[in-house]
Formats: sequence, C-alpha cells, structure tokens
Amino acid sequence: MPVLPTRRAFLTASSTVAAATVAAPYIITSKALGDGVTPPASDRIVMGGIGLGNQGSSDQGRFLKHPDVQYVAVSDVRTTWRESARDRVDAAYGSKGCAAYLDFRDLLARDDIDAVHIATPDHWHAIMTIAACRAGKDIYLQKPETLTLREGPLMLEAARRYGRVVSGGSQRVLEDYRDIVDPCWSGELGRITSIDIDAGASSMPCYLPAMDAPADIDWDLWLGPAPWEPYNPGRCDGNFGTAGNSWRSYIDYSGGRLTDWGAHNFGGLVFAAGLLDHQPSSVVWHPADGSHAAYATLVYPNGVEVHCDRPEALRPSGTAATVSHGRGITIRGDGQAAAPRSVPSYRGRDGIYGDFIECVKTRQRPFRDLEGAINTLTAPHMLGLVRRLERSLEWDRATQQFVNDDEANRLLDRARREPWML
Amino acid sequence: MPFDPKTLDSSMKALAAYDWSGDAAPLGAIDAAVVAAHDDAQLAADLEGRLAAMVASDASRAAKEYACRKLAMIGTTVSVPALAARLGDADDSHMARFALERMQIPEAAEALRQAVDSLTGDLRIGMLSSLAARRDTASVARCAALLAADAKTAVAAAGALGRIATPEAAKALATAHVASGPVAEAIVDARIACADAFLARGARDEARTIFEAIAAEAGEAPATRRARAVRIAARSGILAALDDTASR
Repeated sequence: MPVLPTRRAFLTASSTVAAATVAAPYIITSKALGDGVTPPASDRIVMGGIGLGNQGSSDQGRFLKHPDVQYVAVSDVRTTWRESARDRVDAAYGSKGCAAYLDFRDLLARDDIDAVHIATPDHWHAIMTIAACRAGKDIYLQKPETLTLREGPLMLEAARRYGRVVSGGSQRVLEDYRDIVDPCWSGELGRITSIDIDAGASSMPCYLPAMDAPADIDWDLWLGPAPWEPYNPGRCDGNFGTAGNSWRSYIDYSGGRLTDWGAHNFGGLVFAAGLLDHQPSSVVWHPADGSHAAYATLVYPNGVEVHCDRPEALRPSGTAATVSHGRGITIRGDGQAAAPRSVPSYRGRDGIYGDFIECVKTRQRPFRDLEGAINTLTAPHMLGLVRRLERSLEWDRATQQFVNDDEANRLLDRARREPWML
Repeated sequence: MPFDPKTLDSSMKALAAYDWSGDAAPLGAIDAAVVAAHDDAQLAADLEGRLAAMVASDASRAAKEYACRKLAMIGTTVSVPALAARLGDADDSHMARFALERMQIPEAAEALRQAVDSLTGDLRIGMLSSLAARRDTASVARCAALLAADAKTAVAAAGALGRIATPEAAKALATAHVASGPVAEAIVDARIACADAFLARGARDEARTIFEAIAAEAGEAPATRRARAVRIAARSGILAALDDTASR
C-alpha cells in the first residue's frame, strides 16, 4: 500500500518546506487553486474509484471531468488497469498525486475521500457498498446494484443508517426511455394495465477450463466472496457480452443480461409505469406447452402485470392505448386520460454523474436512489429464480421471503467465501 | 431442459470425472433432476444420496463443488454429515457452507456451530459468516467469546452478533472492552445493528439506550468521516426511538 500524504493534509500543511520533503513533487495547478469555473480543491468532492475496467474507466472519465470533483485514488485487482487508471488521473491534473491500491479497503481507509464510484463485477457490490457506508463515504454504484435478493435490504440499511448518498449507476433509465416515460407520466395512456418485456437471458454456470492466472491479476481478490474457481480469461473478462466470454455471463458474478441490461430495461419500465416504489407480489410461471415457449408474468400489488418473454402470439392486439420502446418493451393502459405528472429529472449538471455529485453536496436523494434500484432489480432477480425452478412463486415483501417455498428461499442469497461476509 | 431419468446414472458418472475441463453437458441433466425433484420425493431422496456420496468421496474439487451447489437447494439432514465433514478442509469448506448455510434445519446450524469450536483462522470466520446469515441465536455465546480472539476473527464475531441482534448479543457487544482499531469499529457497527433490530421489533427504550451510549462515545471521537457517520447513525437512531413516525 503506498504511503502518500492525503490531499487535505497536504493542503493544510502548506509550507513550501513541507512540500519539498515529499517524494513526489506536487504541482499546485490552477485547478487546485480554483480558476473561476472550477472550485478550489478544498471545496471539491474528493473521490476515488474501485474497479477501473471497461465501465469503471468510463465512470472515472466522467467524474474526472466534473469541475466539482477532485479525484485522488484508484483501486483495482489488475495491475495494468490500476496503473492506467492512476495515470489518467495524473494526466488530467498534470500532477503525480493519485494513489493506486490493490485492495479497496486501503482506499476506503483514507479519511480524505468523500465519495467512491464502484464498478467491480456484481459479486463485490454489496460488500464494498456496506464497507463504504461504514467508512462514511457516499457511493456511485454501477448497475446492477445487487447480485442476490438478500443483499438489497442490507445495503439499503447501511446507506440509511450511516446517512449516505448512494446512487445506482443506470444512466439509461432517464435518458433512453422517454418514448415510454412521457406518455405514461403525461396521463395519455391512462391507468397502466399490462406490460410486455423481452427480459434477456439469465447467467449460467461456468465450466471454462483451468488456466494459470497471469501475474497482472490478483485472482483470489478478484474472486473475493465468490466460490473459488480456477482462472480463465473468459471467466473474468469485463466486456459487455453475456454469451460466455465475460464475467457478465456467469452466475457466480452476475445475473446475466437479465440483470445487466435488465437494470436499464426494467429500470425504464418501472420508472415509466410508476412502479419504482413497488416489488412484485408474485411471479407466475407459464411452462412451454408445445405451441409456445415458456414465459413468466410478474404481478405487482397494484394489479399491473409484466409479461416477460411472452410469445408474440399470446400478446393482445389492437389495444388503442399502447406505447413501445425499441428494446422490447410495450406498455398498455386503459386509455382513460389521467392527471399529468411532471417527470423528475437529474439535479446538477452532467447527467446521472452530476446528479450524484449534486446530491453529495446537498444531501438529497439521487435520481437512481438505492431503494428504487433495489426495487427495480427485485423483478429480474425473481424472474431468474422462477426460470431456474420452473414454477410460480409468491413474494412477501415485508419478510423478504417467498411464501411456502423453502427451496426458493434458499436461493435468496449465497454463502460468501471466507473471510468475506456481509 | 426436461429431466430424463435414464440419463441420471451416466450424468453422475460424468460428474465424478469432471475437473473444470472436458464436457460439462451431462451436468445439465442433474440440473434438470433437481428441478424435477421438487415434485418427486423419491427422486429427491435418490438425488440427494448420490450428491452427498459425491461430497464424501475422493472426487475432484470441481465435482464436489457442483454437488454442494445442488445440495444447497435440495439438501436435508441426510447430507449434513457429508457436508459437515468437509468444513475443515481448506478446499471444500466454503462450498460445504454454501449448502449448509441455506438449509433451514437445526442439524445444519449445529454442524456450523461445532465447526466454530474446532476450526481456526479464515475457516472459522467462514462459519461465523454463515451463522450470521442464519441469524443463529444459539451462537451468541460462541461469538461473544471470540470478541477476544485475533482481530480478524473478532471483527467477524462482532459482525455476527450484530446480525443475530438478540438482547444477549447486544449485551456481549456492550461489555466488550476494546478501545480502538478495527475490532472496536466492528463492535460499534454491530451495536448499532442491534439497536436497529430492537427498533424494528418495537423495543424502543432498549434501542434508545444503545444509540445514546454510542452518540456519547462518538461525541468524543476525532472528527473523521467514519466518526461522523457513526454520529449520524446514533443520532438518527435516537430520533427514531423517540418518535415512531421518524425513520432514517
């Protein structure tokens, strides 16, 4: 773990003599002092990033460009990614001040860091989020925010308990789905009655052969709480595919396209249909019957039915009050005009990233507050279990248990590999 | 995929030889058998017996791991001895817990408790993790005793007591004497978790007592981010304990 002076400690101990004693010279740039557009460093949100692969590096770029952010540290289990991420920060600031940590706990231990963004594989999200909350950090957490149904309430409990701002990381919910959001919120669709969605494939078991792990990756730390499995590049690649050559394909690390794209797609759906505060009360399994493939229906407490992968032949036709989104969502209403409501939006500037930063400063709930994200993901998580068990399930939201189904309740969570625990 | 009983023998044979290489397709037939076993008690018993035997055998780590994944779904008292016997094995311990943690039967909990007594190091921490996930009230005394163990174990024991959150767990945490460092922080987190659990159960006075004690301690702590977060937790907890309309 590198031993570096913290940014605030450094700025506080401001004598040039002190500055001359540190190994890496720190250049006081115009940005550090504030340049009229950028606030002085002491007024910025001090950030670090955990998981700096494909999506993490993209998130880092957005935060680095934000004028209210001072980015000071990165953590990744891959040396190359970690050092590249550090170098991007130093290049952006024209300094050598960014620290790079193998272990995220070292980054969280820094008291000068106000907020972190997390973009690791999903099996790390709950542990890191809860640890960051306990350390007093605010969190921008990439979607899908949870891997299991049990994790969500524990993460939310930590966020609320320690008064943290936790934003989920689906930028698409507000930005990509206006074609269904606006007609729903304007009231023109009336009361929402049913929805169809092409839900996406579940993750699968990984049977890739064993290979020697390269020196570039700390394989044990990459696996963390997940079952020990031998290294294979296809098991841990961070690409966005879900067909077998990425961690997003596999059940130990991801819910597959069902939760990965599902965080966006179900996110857009529940936002449009006003279901963000709800969780499904049941999932009905419709087995294949020779004439059509199997599909499932999520039933929400207000009666809205969300048909997942329902065959085209079984969908109603000729419904007048219907809106569709190009990623396989169709929403139907009763056509009885309802009172319009104004669509909520981001705070601050620069989309969901700026929304998070603004909420860190003002202590408001962000657009994709963790609670709504968890409610959203309850739908694809339940769908994944119903597909696996091939039977209908009833959900008791109060107890966060399936009703009278011990086997389904066993799948609410997974034992974490020692020494990791929630 | 539909279950075909005729494939079970060959699939189990393929599983015994499976070692993270070769053809994993036969394992799909066992997956289908697990689904079918939900409505077929005889199949469930047959399947569990075969999987438990696999765990107890000298099959590869990969084969035993697969068997544990399936037992997590269908395991009963029948498979507990085979799983319990693997808890002390560094390679197999986690996957044995993977099954036992999710089996809501007393025999599974007892196996985990006994392993706390016999194991050390990370494997013992694993047992604490699973007992915490089960909110195993019978583990309070064991966890309390481990608050005085090495720091890594003590942190895990405190975390477990926070998840179990009985009055006895809260008392053990309150009377632990750790002044600073990660164990002290874990104890504070666990005390807050206990107080929140008391609040949820309507035990407002008990919750408030804990929150007030933590608020007083946090008031003397250095003004770190962590200390501020603890103060927020304690003070918002006091408000919630005083006003049943308040929430965090």
